[in-house]
Amino acid sequence: MSNEHVVEMRGISKRFGTIQALNNVDLELRRGELLGLVGDNAAGKSTLMKTLFGSVIPDAGEIFIEGQKAELRNPRDAQARGLAMIYQDLAVFNNLDVAANVFTGREYTKRFLGITFVNKKRMEVESQALLDRLRINISSSKLLVERMSGGQRQMVAVARAIGFDARILIMDEPTAALGVKEANTLLELMAELRDQGISIILVTHRISDVLAIGDRVMVLKGGERQGVLDVGDSTLEDVESLIVRGAAYLQ
Amino acid sequence: MTATPTSSPRGETARTRIRELLSYRESGVFLALVIFFVIMYTVSPIFRSPFNLTTILRQISVTSIMAMGQTLVIVSGSFDLSQASIAGLAAMVTARLWKIYGLAPPFAIAGGLGVGILCGFLNGMLAARFRLHPIVMTLATGAVFLGVNFYITRGESIVGLPVGLVFLGQGRIFGIPALVVLMFIVAILMHIMLTRTLFGLRVRMIGGNLKASQDMGMNVERIRIGIFTLSGFLSALGGIVLLGRVGSAVPQIGQGLLFPVVTAAIVGGTLLTGGVGSMAGTLIGAAIMGITRNSLVVLQMSIYLQDIVQGALVVVALLVDQFRRGELTWRIILGLDR
Repeated sequence: MSNEHVVEMRGISKRFGTIQALNNVDLELRRGELLGLVGDNAAGKSTLMKTLFGSVIPDAGEIFIEGQKAELRNPRDAQARGLAMIYQDLAVFNNLDVAANVFTGREYTKRFLGITFVNKKRMEVESQALLDRLRINISSSKLLVERMSGGQRQMVAVARAIGFDARILIMDEPTAALGVKEANTLLELMAELRDQGISIILVTHRISDVLAIGDRVMVLKGGERQGVLDVGDSTLEDVESLIVRGAAYLQ
Repeated sequence: MTATPTSSPRGETARTRIRELLSYRESGVFLALVIFFVIMYTVSPIFRSPFNLTTILRQISVTSIMAMGQTLVIVSGSFDLSQASIAGLAAMVTARLWKIYGLAPPFAIAGGLGVGILCGFLNGMLAARFRLHPIVMTLATGAVFLGVNFYITRGESIVGLPVGLVFLGQGRIFGIPALVVLMFIVAILMHIMLTRTLFGLRVRMIGGNLKASQDMGMNVERIRIGIFTLSGFLSALGGIVLLGRVGSAVPQIGQGLLFPVVTAAIVGGTLLTGGVGSMAGTLIGAAIMGITRNSLVVLQMSIYLQDIVQGALVVVALLVDQFRRGELTWRIILGLDR
């Protein structure tokens, strides 16, 4: 087991009824890299990521996280191993402020007269520090999330994941619902996180996003791995051809 | 630091403060309340008499106490339509515990409150454990609670209640009507609970995004049960206060409270879709409704206008609610957008 890989998936297969969603798929995520995962609709991208996050149990295959074999029965197992997944339909609370969102489920509390009070001040201060550290452009942790743009909400979700000590981020089409400017800001944040040592898998339809900030890009087609390209010496045409024609293109 | 000609730092902070104040959800309804109050205060000498102002406060107390519970329920994304029936049942049980079973007033009151807690817990179980839709479910349990009330009382009233039972409704604490004091105590405690405690945060979370709450592993069921139980308790408290105000126990007591209670919460800015609402807003909502009713009386308008005006007020509140959520715009009203 090489220590260079924070995630290794070996021979993952998954069948839904008559459809072979994944067929003997391998995936390696290097420490501190941003790996793009691309492919047409129904290529198996989301299923593969759900397998890694424990919300889909594979029929066959093994997953190693930080070099150790991981039995992921549910998302909590994955979270306990430092994984976080950010979906395009967000699990943020629009009616709460940023601080409460960053700390959902692990709020700072203090007890007084047997009643559990929320330690708002500490959550505000610490979430502000987290936003600053991640260089997320949100002016105050006291802002209500409902007053924010889609991109800022994604960033709150990212901050929450990082706040939970996630070292491996899975981002499933995070820019799909965003405008160009918003998407670019989010991509900048992802590059920033990668530079801070977080390993990221970016599932996307926008190949140009991966080519702009990614290190490598992996292509799936029909539930099978077609190849992995280095972003540095690949063009948009290379990736598109691999998506459309599959591994045959590489020969 | 040199002051710029356009705005001094001081003017700047003052402006931010004002903007901050206006950003509070309650500021709109509060402004409406103040304007309404000032107009009535100016035009009607009867309205501004201390006696009348106290009367308004006394009249809104029971509604407010129960509406605090309703606010909690609505913020969590549910409704409790059984509140008035719980109030009535608790009041009658309290009176009967004293009259028939000879319990001292404090114990009789404790018994009445216990009945409210039990009814609320039952609602909570049916909503959370059995996953019944709260609107129809509480409408049904409300009918059951009212039926139990009539069944055990056989429709008979109890008169001549002792001081201990009417104190909450008629007594005074430091010269202030006891029920007004109680209303503010309940308001402060409920405000702290909703805004400062972990339970209050959980209530706002399940009302704001139920799915995310479940996904993060929150015990939604237990919180739901807690919410309905508290609503039952506050309904019973309202019923017992009302018992004291009326001075005798008639089985119909509490009937007709549902509408003012729900409307106080809605006029006060509680979002019907859950997640957003405040005790201060509900208090303001109850006050607007109370002043409306009182104005019709002191201006010697037909009392039959009351329902029309109150109903219309609620429709206005619902419209404002829709606007705030962005579900409604002028373009939609004018038929330009669909």
